[in-house]
Amino acid sequence: MDYNKCAKEILAAIGGKDNLVSAAHCATRLRLVIVDNDKTDQATLEDIDGVKGVFESAGQLQIIIGTGTVNKVYDEFIKEAGVEAASKDDVKAAAAAKAPMWKRAIKTLGDVFVPILPAIVASGLLMGIVEAIGKVSTDFSSTDWYAFLDMMSSTAFAFLPVLVAASAAKVFGANIYLGVVMGLMMVHPSLLNGWNVGNVESINEFFGVTDGIIPTWNLFGDLQIGDYVVGSISQHGYQGHVIPVVIVIWLMSKIEKWLHKHVPEMIDLFVVPITTIFISALAAFIVIGPIFSLLENYVLAGAEWLVQNPFGAAVVGFFYPATVVMGLHHMYNVIEAGMLAAGDLNTWMPIATAANFAQAAAALAVGLKAKNGKTKTIAIPSALSASLGITEPAIFGINFRFFKPFICAMIGGAVGGLFAAIVGLGATAYGVTGFPGFLIINNIPMYCLLLLISGGVAFILTWIIWKEGDTKKDKKAKDAPVADAEAKEVDATDTAVDDTAEKMVCTPVDGKVIPLTETPDETFASEALGKGGAIIPTGDTIKSPVNGTVNMVFDTGHAVGLESDDGVEILVHIGINTVELNGNGFETIAKEGDKVKVGDPLIKFDEKIIKDGGYNLTTPIIVTNTDDFASVELLTTGDVTSGTELLKVQK
Amino acid sequence: MKTFDYTITDEVGIHARPAGILVKEAKTYASKITISKGEKKAEATKLMAIMSLGVKQGETITVTVEGDDEDTCAPAIETFFKENL
Repeated sequence: MDYNKCAKEILAAIGGKDNLVSAAHCATRLRLVIVDNDKTDQATLEDIDGVKGVFESAGQLQIIIGTGTVNKVYDEFIKEAGVEAASKDDVKAAAAAKAPMWKRAIKTLGDVFVPILPAIVASGLLMGIVEAIGKVSTDFSSTDWYAFLDMMSSTAFAFLPVLVAASAAKVFGANIYLGVVMGLMMVHPSLLNGWNVGNVESINEFFGVTDGIIPTWNLFGDLQIGDYVVGSISQHGYQGHVIPVVIVIWLMSKIEKWLHKHVPEMIDLFVVPITTIFISALAAFIVIGPIFSLLENYVLAGAEWLVQNPFGAAVVGFFYPATVVMGLHHMYNVIEAGMLAAGDLNTWMPIATAANFAQAAAALAVGLKAKNGKTKTIAIPSALSASLGITEPAIFGINFRFFKPFICAMIGGAVGGLFAAIVGLGATAYGVTGFPGFLIINNIPMYCLLLLISGGVAFILTWIIWKEGDTKKDKKAKDAPVADAEAKEVDATDTAVDDTAEKMVCTPVDGKVIPLTETPDETFASEALGKGGAIIPTGDTIKSPVNGTVNMVFDTGHAVGLESDDGVEILVHIGINTVELNGNGFETIAKEGDKVKVGDPLIKFDEKIIKDGGYNLTTPIIVTNTDDFASVELLTTGDVTSGTELLKVQK
Repeated sequence: MKTFDYTITDEVGIHARPAGILVKEAKTYASKITISKGEKKAEATKLMAIMSLGVKQGETITVTVEGDDEDTCAPAIETFFKENL
């Protein structure tokens, strides 16, 4: 069947998109919330090819379409109905396809992380504070309050893969619940916590073994290629991992979409989810996860070797945040524990501090420099959290997204790492960095210097190099009101879009500006003709509000239509119901097709004749093609002269 | 494709307000609705274009409906004209 045709016919039969509040679907039905049920044509609906039945229930118009078909009709339906999310995604995908691979990857990661930022910023900050207090006061760390706060604040991080999976599923257009299942699977309690992978005691305790080796599930028995046991799954989870989860969900979305296309409708609901999960799980635990675990081991070995000399320390300081991004930083505490066990100072902690504190400083620089309210509100708490040692919010929420701050911070981390190794900084315990590090460091003045150097370098570099206008994303968001910032960011693209410039419509006459909604006429006030403003004139001549062309002058002289050179169509309607004066009191100056500039006279009117005729002189100025733009904003109210900027119109 | 003629009875013709209501109505259909007066044509979803026709009382316009839902749309639009214009 033709899903698009079906969707179109349904939309027409329910009275068009203006009569639609929301659309959703379940396993068999399209569920629509309708503005005015009288406008829906139930008989027509039932006759549509593909519709098996129609009824109203619980405030919804439910259209039975059938398993496996309904989701395809729904996809077409939301496209036809112009549901915003869909069209924005299209725009985004089209734009993203043009950017280079690594940029797309970073952008995708940003798209995944931005929605979950509130959760991890809050948790990160709280976790940093709770851990710091716990270190200061061992009394506190044994209280019930500490245990409770620790549990609460670490939740978002303990289950980070679940948050990432849900968000990624949305970004990649996969079923969000299947995404959550995959995320949950990767932190399943039957698996060893990913944070304990390098910890022999935890492994022994968890699995009841004595050799400190994580047991494996060998799905294909002992089949081996070289040393590699085919289909072997190490029984540990992926707590704290980000990239593997994003990759798994991406793969899952591909599998799910492919299956939806190729599996017969009859068995779609039964076959697709189970197959999707099965294949994704195998890929996650046999291929994707182990690759990252292997990388983690190499990183660990490399870091252990590097950290032994100052230049190596600089390299570690530089790449440390990159390993955080990759999720390969979980086993560093093995290095720290090893150092302490050997009776040495923990020289790893100062390097990690340099790297983390540099991220904090870079995020702070962004926060102080940014004018966009949303960037600010994320950057500053993220910076605070990073200064306490929890860097994920700062890295994923700010620095890595804007990328330049991330590089600046890496440089700061390298300089700090070098300094720490040269002056011989070391800690007597492990588990904290940043400000809480003061509690375990061997040389407090030098630690102060370390923070100043790494943070200072990162801050100054970021302050100089990063500009808010670096990406379209910032530019758009900066000009938008805070409330709009999120929406603007969603459709921000890297493609050059010249017509996004703001377009101005000026006042056509001296007088008092009021919002269009206060016009004493329902048609105009309801914005049915478009958005705009209104003016109660004190002058007697309507002048052109834009540079453009006169489209139409009514024979009766009571209204004039123009199209600006930048594509805004404007109707200036002098007075309410003044069409009934039949031209009496109006004298047209401009005619159709005239090229005009702001301030050129268009129509003269006689206030006395209009008022004596009993008509209200309020003059609406309306953008009649409002639908072509994202926003039409009234810039001023009250007394103005003609030629004042009145409306800001933006794509 | 379906067409019908209609003679405007509203004494002030298709001015801003009825044009606005017409546009709103026209947008609810998938079909393309065109209004023509003599040589001039306007899409019913374009406010400015309709007003440019300058249709007055007593003038006859031709309405053309073309699209998937034309069978339901054409009679509905005709009723709309009778009620509003």
